[in-house]
This record gives sequence, C-alpha cells and structure tokens, in this order.
Amino acid sequence: MEMDKNKKRPVYLNLFQIHLPVGGVMSILHRITGTVLVLLLPLAIYMLQRSLQDPAAFADIVARLGSPIGRSILLVVVWMFAQHFFSGVRHLLQDVGIGLEKTAARRGAWLTFIGSGLVVVVTGAYL
Amino acid sequence: MRRIGSTGSAHAGLMEWLLQRISSLYMGGFVIYLVFHFLVSPKPDYAAWTGWFADGVVRLAWALFILSVLVHAWIGLRSVYMDYLHPLWLRFSVSLLTAFGLLALGLWSAEILLMINL
Repeated sequence: MEMDKNKKRPVYLNLFQIHLPVGGVMSILHRITGTVLVLLLPLAIYMLQRSLQDPAAFADIVARLGSPIGRSILLVVVWMFAQHFFSGVRHLLQDVGIGLEKTAARRGAWLTFIGSGLVVVVTGAYL
Repeated sequence: MRRIGSTGSAHAGLMEWLLQRISSLYMGGFVIYLVFHFLVSPKPDYAAWTGWFADGVVRLAWALFILSVLVHAWIGLRSVYMDYLHPLWLRFSVSLLTAFGLLALGLWSAEILLMINL
C-alpha cells in the first residue's frame, strides 16, 4: 500500500515545463556539456592516436584543427569543457561549504558562465 | 527493482560520490598542467610531441587522466540515466552500451600509450 502511494508522487523533471533559476540552468548545462564531451571521446582518442602515428598524420591533425571549421569546433569544445570545469569547481567548493547561501550560490552560477565565456575569448584570441 | 526504478541519483552510493570528486581533482590538475605546458611550448612539432610522450611519467600521467575521465564519465552518465531514462529495460540497455563503450575506449587508449613509436 505504502509503495503504491509512493509511486504516484509527482516527478517533475521535464525541462520544457519548469522555469529554472540560474543555478538550475547551470546544473543542466553541467549535464549536457558532460554528456556531449563523453560522446566526443572517441574522436579525441582517435586524434591522439593519429597525432602520434607519423609526421604526416600529425601535420594532417594540426591542419584540420587550424582550419576555420576545425577552429570553430575546437572553440565550442573549449567552451563546453570550461563550463563543465567551472560548474564542477563550484560543486567542489559547495562540498566544503563555500558558496552555499542563496545569493552566493547564484553569484557562483553566474561566475561559471562569465568564466567559461572568458576562456573562449582568450582561446579564440590565442589560437 | 521497483525501488531502484523509483529513486533518483540522490541515492547513489558514497563511493561513487567520492570517486567523482577524486577524478575531478586529478583531471582539473592535469588540464591546468597541460595548459601551462603548451603555453611554454606554443608550437609543438611531431618530434617534440612524440618526445614528450617518450617520457614514462608523461605517459603514466596521461593514463591516469584517461582512467579518471572514464570513471567520471561512467558515474556522471549513470546519474543522468537515472533521472531521465525511466523504463528499466532502456536504462539497462543504455548503461550496458555505455559500460562497454567506455571500456573499449580505455583499452584503445592503453594500446595507444603502450605502442607509441619511440
């Protein structure tokens, strides 16, 4: 009986129906970026393998990464990694009790967006 | 099984929680090291690139990094699956596919790191 009651509790995880606060947006971005980064792992490992194979393969990888399309994809990946990295740092800081209070938590979430944006700008200028 | 089906990632184990933190700290440190390494040597050619990998410490650091990535990916994806893949057969199939996929990536990486032409 108790189990049946429990099963009917509302599960409200539909992202298209809930209005997320900034921390929630950051949290779902953490999951999306993490998932996409995992999906890119085979490509990353393949590139590592090719780059170590022989000088021609190495030059090929460098050329592909340096092309306009390569640079654009690289910047998106850098953004995804930086966003995941900074929201991860925020997570770790909250584990040790830093930035748990509501305004601080919100400020932290905004900071992850600013941080990842800055990383993209700096990388874009450097590449 | 019904209880597993109805609980979210909030009930995942302490071990997973800890591994997720340890792996994140190692990956974070390694990536910061990589950034500084490539800032110091901005344009690596093939010789410098393979020469760097010839160092056993570098290869070990890469191996630990890839292991951390795979462990971190497994725990992270599992939490996502628990929240969004509700039919148990679907969650099971996708988890199984993920596990084999990550395992394959690990073996492939090990092969690359062990077979480098020095």
